[in-house]
Amino acid sequence: MDLELNINGNIHQIRCKPHESLMRVLRREGFISVRFGSDTGETGAAAILLDGRLVNSDILLAAQAEGHEITTVESLARGIDLHPIQKAFVATGAIQSGYSTPAMVLAAKALLDRNPNPSEAEIREAFSGILDRETGYVKPVQAVLQAAAVLRGEDPENYDPIILTPITLVDDDFFSGPGPEAEGGEPWGGEDGGGAVRVAAPPKFIVSSDVPETQVVGKPEIKVDALKLVKGNPAFVDDIEMRNMLYAKLLTSPHAHARILDIDDREALALPGVHAVIHYKNIPRVRYASGGQSYPNPKPYDQVSFDDKVRYVGDRVAAVAADSIEIAEQALAHIRVEYEVLPAVFDENEAIREGAPVIHDEPDMEGAHDASRNISHLIEAHVGDVETGFARADYVFEGQYRVHQVQQVPIEPHICIGYWDPDERLVLRTSTQVPFHVRRMVAPLLGLPVRRIRVIKPRIGGGFGAKQEMLIEDIVGHLVIATGRPVRLELTRQEEFVSSRTRHPQTITFKTGVDKDGVLVAQEMTVVGNTGPYATHGLTVQTVTGLRGLSSYNCPNKKFHCTVAYTNIPVPGAYRGYGGPQALFALENHMDDIANRLGMDVIAFRRANWVRVGDPLDIAPHLGEGESEVTEIPVIRSSGLEECVAQGMQSIGWSRRNDPDWKRVPGKPHLRRGIGFAMCMHGTAIPGLDMGGASIKINDDGSFNVLVGATDLGTGSDTALAQIAAEVLGVRLEDIIIYSSDTDMTPFDTGAYASSTTYISGTAVKLAAEQVRAQIQERAALMLEVENPGEIVLRDRCAHAPGGQFVTLERLALHSLHQDQQRQIMATASFVSPESPPPFGAQFAEVEVDVETGQVTVVRLVMAVDCGVAINPITASGQVEGGITQALGYGHCEEMAYDEEGRMVNAALGPYKIYRADEMPEMEVILVQTMEPSGPFGAKAVAEIPKDGVAPAMANAIFDATGVRIHQIPFTPERVWKALRENKG
Amino acid sequence: MKGLKHYYRPDSVDEVLDLLARPDVPSALLGGGTSLIATAPDDLQSVIDLQAAGLDHLDEKDGRLTAGATARLQDLADFIGTPALLREACYFEAPNTIRNAATLGGLIASADPESELLAALLVYEARVVIQNRQGAVESALAEFLNEKSRLLQGAIITEVRLPTGGRAASARVARTPADRPIVAAAGRVSPQGELLIALCGAAKTPLLAGPEALDRLPYPADFRGSSEYRRAMAGVLIRRVRAELGA
Repeated sequence: MDLELNINGNIHQIRCKPHESLMRVLRREGFISVRFGSDTGETGAAAILLDGRLVNSDILLAAQAEGHEITTVESLARGIDLHPIQKAFVATGAIQSGYSTPAMVLAAKALLDRNPNPSEAEIREAFSGILDRETGYVKPVQAVLQAAAVLRGEDPENYDPIILTPITLVDDDFFSGPGPEAEGGEPWGGEDGGGAVRVAAPPKFIVSSDVPETQVVGKPEIKVDALKLVKGNPAFVDDIEMRNMLYAKLLTSPHAHARILDIDDREALALPGVHAVIHYKNIPRVRYASGGQSYPNPKPYDQVSFDDKVRYVGDRVAAVAADSIEIAEQALAHIRVEYEVLPAVFDENEAIREGAPVIHDEPDMEGAHDASRNISHLIEAHVGDVETGFARADYVFEGQYRVHQVQQVPIEPHICIGYWDPDERLVLRTSTQVPFHVRRMVAPLLGLPVRRIRVIKPRIGGGFGAKQEMLIEDIVGHLVIATGRPVRLELTRQEEFVSSRTRHPQTITFKTGVDKDGVLVAQEMTVVGNTGPYATHGLTVQTVTGLRGLSSYNCPNKKFHCTVAYTNIPVPGAYRGYGGPQALFALENHMDDIANRLGMDVIAFRRANWVRVGDPLDIAPHLGEGESEVTEIPVIRSSGLEECVAQGMQSIGWSRRNDPDWKRVPGKPHLRRGIGFAMCMHGTAIPGLDMGGASIKINDDGSFNVLVGATDLGTGSDTALAQIAAEVLGVRLEDIIIYSSDTDMTPFDTGAYASSTTYISGTAVKLAAEQVRAQIQERAALMLEVENPGEIVLRDRCAHAPGGQFVTLERLALHSLHQDQQRQIMATASFVSPESPPPFGAQFAEVEVDVETGQVTVVRLVMAVDCGVAINPITASGQVEGGITQALGYGHCEEMAYDEEGRMVNAALGPYKIYRADEMPEMEVILVQTMEPSGPFGAKAVAEIPKDGVAPAMANAIFDATGVRIHQIPFTPERVWKALRENKG
Repeated sequence: MKGLKHYYRPDSVDEVLDLLARPDVPSALLGGGTSLIATAPDDLQSVIDLQAAGLDHLDEKDGRLTAGATARLQDLADFIGTPALLREACYFEAPNTIRNAATLGGLIASADPESELLAALLVYEARVVIQNRQGAVESALAEFLNEKSRLLQGAIITEVRLPTGGRAASARVARTPADRPIVAAAGRVSPQGELLIALCGAAKTPLLAGPEALDRLPYPADFRGSSEYRRAMAGVLIRRVRAELGA
């Protein structure tokens, strides 16, 4: 049909099909700021303004919009002159991946156009339809407050970080004293959910005196990619269009476990517009493991591109490439598949029992511990001797915990566009965290040498581990090879749930021996991990569970025993935290339990046992990754844990726990209040394995290209790395042009995972910059006729000699590139670390429990984090805010639910519940700076530690409120209700 | 709805009914589209968009609210004459992106079992005006929800009418503050002193629930709540609503 659409004030004559959504039409017309998050209005990524009202363009027919004014973000900025709302988003750090930023900017515009002075509650309401998996909504709300002030003609509030006074430095007796005065929390909206206005909340941090003065590092610099993201410029995989591009679709298994007896693709191939159908009968059988990890990938190699057996509902059966998505979908319905349905098993404990259905019975299965018993791995590690320890202990406590399956939910689903370049090399433009691993891993599956493959990672709309995987690139590659044409495959929201990757469920048992003074003498952790039908990250996630579960507290005797089970659930893989959140839910729940049973203060008990500077991480050498054994026992060299705990106690109003009057809510006899704590500790990169590389070269104007293989997936790592380069080179951040990542252009990097980028890739950037600095010093010495180049100092874009003479870097670059003894000033460096310095954190949660319904309301979350020196306090605090929001979902409401046949029953956002802006608890984040000697400028990791503490802090808060301890997440109403009833007898 | 061939935007109710009357063309009525576009079957051939049919009026006079079928939920929430319980229920119904498009008529036709707005409309004794080519009939919302497929044969919802008087209260249990409810109860004491209680999450549609009916409801289980839990919650929430109303 033909339509006349008024888009951003211009009339567009459009021809489209009657069923097409406005989102599809707008994207096709070039308004690519309108982003795909779903076809069902679930995510709000495709929100636009229709006559000034915010609506989802993915559930609006293009035809419905005729006669109305359509506004997209493309209309807001004039050139580089941003709209005040966009400026505020940039200034407050409201942008992470930026995928849904255009929608949020429009939401803000719709609000401010009719309400110039909105309350925080009204702003949050305005964001209620746009799900953000990254920021925790904290900074976007700040952005709107700031923009509103500017639009009213006021000066915006200062957004510089707030420096707090350290507590433990000035008060030695803090932990033995009466505890801090209650500060307390109230929901952001107040009791009735509306009206309250809070002042701007820039990041808060505690400065450490041993951190050297810096110019760019440690400053709240603006994200280097903010401009393109806030304008909605083409930056993501799907934002380019290829001539003659084909659209791929997946046929997935309706059965949890079945043999494919036959596939007949003739009818599908006969449909006009269908160009290829691939499946087990026409694709070579090459075994692999899909987890994006260093060479050699951990065994077993239990996958092939297409198998004659399916092992979960959502498993690959076939793929189609056709002229349009509609034709491809139609073709799927014409592929005849004959299944022999087999019995299935979903629970990890049942799967390893005698007589369970065998999931991998294929003869070419290799590398599993015992495939006939569904055991992919058996992991054992110990320090000392737990049996002796338990015999010596005055008390022994045991607790069993169950953690469930959740999905990463990046708002941009997996997407890959593949094509042959003019040299007939395969280019894969893909939304991945691991471009170099993808290139190496996909090559043998496609029968191409690595040199004939180029992987480009543009901007990524969130990954959280789901994209630490070679997930769909092989399918796209096979289809490009089969058709000779560009091919695009994008997962639907439902496929992202069931055919992508998830977090490993586990059954965890802790047994702990304690002496009469509350000192740990033995701790044993037994885990049965559920890796679904494919191991991918099954070994290493479970290994990290052991490492994290047995590292936080000193104990002379430790033992880890883990069985990793194959089952028929959708495949678990990497998810931010990587085994840590599972372990710490169990550990911190268990430690709280022990303290209460011993009659000890829950913090004093932990404090008597937790690790400090100088303590060895003795289990670490036994629970490493990769083949190169790290044999030396790492030692903690920095820890701000005590300050984190003190700050958190003060912020949450910890002493209210002791006030019986506070625990009851006046006028609401069914409510109980409680506060819980969890200690958090994570790692920083995989020691001896994670490697990052960086190249830096100077340009004519004294600017620098920084080329990194590191993969910014929205975290702001490009900005942090650029800040490190600018600091060393004595220039401003704007003088650094950072590019990540492209396997043809940038040095190797393992990728964005394991909280490694700032520390590993950051050190690589620092080393490369230092080499470039040395070359600049030499050149400056030549130009300034100084004898010792080492005396030259770089600052303010100039090279300064001791005598006061200087040369600008622009002059120096021109001299070096054009004038005398010409050379390209350039260097490459890489870095791998023998250690993994732990960041520390203190997580606090305040809850209200409805004892009649089991409904838990999280009132306030406080997290204080020691991430070393935060290279950028705004992006670092944003990482924490987003991380604890995801962690809140893990503990409270997110769960993948199944029917008896293993079909996920809630594969949509809503039924699968992630927190919205207008229901968030109040959150406070405090960065406690320490100087980590092994990190670049003192930095440690920050990305994953926020995932660790919320669920156990909630468990402990529920216990504080009700006296009932719950051993299983999420804390949904019925689970809590049942636990309360059982415990009341 | 990939098989969609025709999009119509008639500008009167009569035209809508004419289009709907064609027996050979499977047609669906399009309100905001928030539910239909994501869920319509691929063999749907025609949609009839109601946006120009003149049904988006909102009016309050002498204690009676009249809302057109294509009034959007946000409009209903913003309308000064809408009772507070209904306004609040609009916000619980969906986030702003959906409320700005979804229509009251579409919501009623969906009979969504989790809809707190439907529960609120039930206790406000809402009546649904249904028009076919023979004319208009008015049906109590409770009756409509039970018999909607019969009542909507060749007919459309044009209007909802309700008295705005009385005192109302609600209670809910959900996973998070803005989540759809597992079970929710709405209650109202009418100006005549009659107590009305409605429940969602207890049956296949929201329904008015007298005390005698509570034990007989099916309480369909899902992963968020077993039948046993839902039954228990219905009791708790109704008790809370009654306590708040002093009834």
